[in-house]
Amino acid sequence: MLGYAVRRIGGAAAVLLIMSAVVYLLFYLMPANPAQLVCGIKTCTPDRLAVISHSLGLDEPLYLQYWHFLVGLVAGRDISMGPSTVHCAAPCLGYSFQYTEPVLQMILDRLPVSGSLVVGAAVLWLSFGIGIGVLSALRRGRWVDHTVNALVLGGLAVPIFITGLLALMVFCVYLQWIPFPTWVPLDQDPLLWAQNLILPWIVLALTTMPVYVRMSRAGMLETLAEDHIRTARAYGLPERQVIGRHALRGALSPLITLAALDVAAILTSSVLTESVFGLPGIGQLTVQAVRNVDLPVVVGLVLLIGFVIVVCNTIADLLYAAVDKRVSVS
Amino acid sequence: MTEARPGFRVFLGRFRTDRAAVFGAVVAGLLVLLALLAPVLTALEGQDISSFHNDLVDSARGGVPIGPLGGMSGQHWLGVEPQTGRDLFARVAQGAQISLLVAVSATVVQVFLGVVVGLAAGLGSKLLDTVLTRLADIAIAFPVIIFSLALLTIVPDSVPRPLLLAVVIGVLGWGGTARIARGQTLSLRTRDFVAAARLSGAGGFRVARREILPGLAAPVITYAALLLPTNVITEAALSFLGVGVRPPTSSWGQMLSTATTWFRSDVMYVLIPAFMVFLTVLSFTLMGEGVRVALDPRTTRLTRKAG
Amino acid sequence: MTWRRPSLLVAGLLLAGTVTACGGGGQSASTAAFDPNNCQGGTLEILNQDDAGSHLDPARLYTSGGGNIPSLLFRTLTTRTRKAGADGAKVAPDLATDTGEPNADATVWTYHLRDGLKFEDGTPITSADVKYGIERGFAAELPGGAPYLHDWLVDAQNYPGPYKDPNGIAAIETPDAKTIVFHLNSPHGDFPYLATATQFAPVPKAKDTGADYEKHPISSGPYKIETYDKGKSMTLVRNTDWSRAVDPNRLACPDRIEATYGLDSAVINQRLSTGTGNDANAVTTDTSLGPSELAQLDNNPDLAKRVAKGGFPYTYYLAFDNTKAPFNDIKVREAFSYAVDRTSAVNAVGGSSLAYPATTFLPNNKTMGYQAFDYFPAGANGDPAKAKQLLAEAGFPNGLTITLAHRSDDSNQDGPAVATAVQDAFKKAGITVKLQSIDSDSYGTTVNNPATQPQVAVEGWGADWPSGGPFIIPIFDGRQYLAGGGNFNTAHFDDKAVNAKIDEINKITDPDQAAQQWGQLDSEIMKQAPVVPLYHTTQLRLYGKNVKNAFVSDWTGVYDLSQVSVK
Repeated sequence: MLGYAVRRIGGAAAVLLIMSAVVYLLFYLMPANPAQLVCGIKTCTPDRLAVISHSLGLDEPLYLQYWHFLVGLVAGRDISMGPSTVHCAAPCLGYSFQYTEPVLQMILDRLPVSGSLVVGAAVLWLSFGIGIGVLSALRRGRWVDHTVNALVLGGLAVPIFITGLLALMVFCVYLQWIPFPTWVPLDQDPLLWAQNLILPWIVLALTTMPVYVRMSRAGMLETLAEDHIRTARAYGLPERQVIGRHALRGALSPLITLAALDVAAILTSSVLTESVFGLPGIGQLTVQAVRNVDLPVVVGLVLLIGFVIVVCNTIADLLYAAVDKRVSVS
Repeated sequence: MTEARPGFRVFLGRFRTDRAAVFGAVVAGLLVLLALLAPVLTALEGQDISSFHNDLVDSARGGVPIGPLGGMSGQHWLGVEPQTGRDLFARVAQGAQISLLVAVSATVVQVFLGVVVGLAAGLGSKLLDTVLTRLADIAIAFPVIIFSLALLTIVPDSVPRPLLLAVVIGVLGWGGTARIARGQTLSLRTRDFVAAARLSGAGGFRVARREILPGLAAPVITYAALLLPTNVITEAALSFLGVGVRPPTSSWGQMLSTATTWFRSDVMYVLIPAFMVFLTVLSFTLMGEGVRVALDPRTTRLTRKAG
Repeated sequence: MTWRRPSLLVAGLLLAGTVTACGGGGQSASTAAFDPNNCQGGTLEILNQDDAGSHLDPARLYTSGGGNIPSLLFRTLTTRTRKAGADGAKVAPDLATDTGEPNADATVWTYHLRDGLKFEDGTPITSADVKYGIERGFAAELPGGAPYLHDWLVDAQNYPGPYKDPNGIAAIETPDAKTIVFHLNSPHGDFPYLATATQFAPVPKAKDTGADYEKHPISSGPYKIETYDKGKSMTLVRNTDWSRAVDPNRLACPDRIEATYGLDSAVINQRLSTGTGNDANAVTTDTSLGPSELAQLDNNPDLAKRVAKGGFPYTYYLAFDNTKAPFNDIKVREAFSYAVDRTSAVNAVGGSSLAYPATTFLPNNKTMGYQAFDYFPAGANGDPAKAKQLLAEAGFPNGLTITLAHRSDDSNQDGPAVATAVQDAFKKAGITVKLQSIDSDSYGTTVNNPATQPQVAVEGWGADWPSGGPFIIPIFDGRQYLAGGGNFNTAHFDDKAVNAKIDEINKITDPDQAAQQWGQLDSEIMKQAPVVPLYHTTQLRLYGKNVKNAFVSDWTGVYDLSQVSVK
């Protein structure tokens, strides 16, 4: 098991390395020159441009830029900012071209927003998704089952940004039941925090839930048909115990791995969700950074998201291996 | 994995009895027709896609279409576009062209790359297998939206956008297909008929083409049928973010990017593209589900009544 | 089924709590009239799409008249007059005691600072601080701002900034702590206007942190920064070292100002119009009304009362090189002028409430010396017949094909929406237009470099200050043509008579006299159709229910944050 874990982690590190290299390469190919953007339009002279290029480290060859970046990740590095030089401690993700702020700090500042979004939605979609799926399985064939199935299919067909847009328009503009979501930090006012996020949570949960409903229903149906359930029933165990202790466990194990993967997926689609709801998380930062050709920020974000994805995938694999003893770890 | 490959007629028979799948297929077919016949239908309406109609929008109110439901009339079946007065039916039809073109092309790219990599991994040496599987893992881990955003911002506008979109989405999304192809290849490779082919002196390529490839058809097609709606959503999302096709080319996602502005004054302009995306994804998903079940009736059907 | 689903319960509670919480709330709007002596108090909310200038460093900001939010932090030698209408388009002394003392030919300008000026940390503001602030603007690490200073000061073109050359600019003298003298290399009667630029804000050398200064710039104005989360939010509190006694321009009524950035424009308008809770005390500095609010104005007089209408001088036009074929033939230029459909161009940027057709280069502002004329009357929707006729006379009986470049998005109103409108109109006149989309960020640098300048481009030009000078000179002065880049004379217009006239008008120090001359010059220039004007913009901004004294000046076209009150 340990060997498996080590191999997976090593693989994960390799993936991250490759992703960061790809991003550097992408930006190297960019026609828009980030120094030009920082320099501005009306007063930019070739001399000024050269100075800015130098301070951003853009006059170095690509592989050197990448090398400095890698070194900074592990050991920190010094970055020149005009009259002063700052030391950027490890893990140093560099300084933003546009904002002259440490990228790591920028990302950490916005992480609570995206994190709140993901966690709240996860609680909703897991509880509702599994609950509805199990209910549907137990009431198989009745109208509850059919309605649920139809809704599931419908839910799968609508992308998050459309559901989000429509929900926003209906509840905040047309009916005016709730104000437009804004970000209130959890430690500032928990009630306001939750109140603002309730709409994004519900929308996110609605779009992610269908798969869980379907899978928990299918898993439940399959498990219920198995021998050990019949045995438990034959023994006269109360139905609640039969379902709760025996059936659920078998049905739910694939769902755990799926949940881990979905957390990663939600984070990557935060670009869309935060655009729609206007929340200042890492998704919004990504869109801004790409538009501004802000290389250090984009690299930092890609690494972060890649890291989360890889971690979630690894956890999912390890969980699966641990929970379901039938799977071998080779 | 499938044991026997169902004959086409058997497949069709099973598919036909599945009402949801048939509904999906019919609607999908209609959408394809809309996309293919867009210019013809627009001419039938008596309009064209690029003419402005200043008289049909209210300039003082920001360019809202005059008349209820966004200016629907006999001349403009779906109304007109705000600010420009361009015929909305023509633009929605072009949006269908873009969505389907990009989604289908992207799926083709994903299937092609996935099958090639999966085959190579399944048939090749252990080293090749490991390397390719890792690559596939990376491809699966890549956050598609973010990389598409970055890639699409880099490339200058001289490159035709729909093609670029298809390539970008395709190149970033072949991981899942590769995994499936590899799995099926590995399981087929141990079969007797493959061993027999090998013994009779057939080279790797030949074995791949004649013995393994047909066996891949069912699982890959099943997977592809469900990839298509995902690609439709991805294209719409990228257009929504502003990096999809460039104006004046029309795309449903693009129309939705101004939704917050028009929701109150011209709700049709928001609902119509939203509905089109929904309908496209739903119909292709139902069709894909139907394909999946028809190819392998043992799979648990979501809406099946019995057991 | 016996097990609970607690999450459902919690969700239900939250939703119920939400619905009740937002039903009430918000203070009742006070109905007392605005009294400047009794307006102090409350918190002003600002809802914006973008952060103020993206670099809150006085050396880097490019504002007209000091900006709205920046002017709360950065006082300058002179500033715009904070009055409504045409009065607001005049210059008023800010740090200085008057608008400046010129010498006989307006090549030397002297300013004396007021008494009692202090930074937010209590240190007195001296002329050396103003000089240092200007010199910072030359540093390559702090790019941005208006180009005029670099050109106007004697021998300052190549000054590399105070970090590389601490000796400073010789053309700026500070004989004592309260006097500052500028030596210009040619007569400039409108120097007082230039002195309103944010570059003229004082910066204490001891607290200058270079590129980091923008995180907490030292304020000379009525407010100082409490917290600043760039791109997301900013909180301003009172600068206790400022008072109305030393600043006759600003009222600074709110005790606190909280700005939120990164919001969607429709959301901003919606929040301002509904005005629940703190939104009743809200304003915006970068969002005009959208179609849903425009639609409500007729039926909702309360909403209509809270709309501030103004016209910041701005012109959008089609630019092409007059020395290159086919535009070297005046008939072709005239044909293009007849072919434009200004109604669809206006619709493309928001309709007749937010823009009006332009047939002159100067916008309809008195201070610019606007004179109405329309030498090539195209009517509301263009005159394609006349255009075709002119093209035939010019040797293009079958029309011609051109490439029209535009920005890749509509954020600056020179994007695909306008370009497509022009394309459609030109089609009727036999002109085939190929659209060329240029990436938004590199649009300026591409179009303003003669080497990469597209055949035709959609361009916009705004007034650095409300005078015809900064509007006409960079665009039509032949000597302003810069072959290497940063060129705004994209028409490559070089008329000796026009150049001479410009020099003459520059000597005039009376703004009204100068305005009249600029208007006359505009009329002369446009006879040659060097550009095709499309439209000028109007600003329509909402303000919250509780906000008072939100008047509009002709300089900025919007309400002034230093004048509004929420009490």
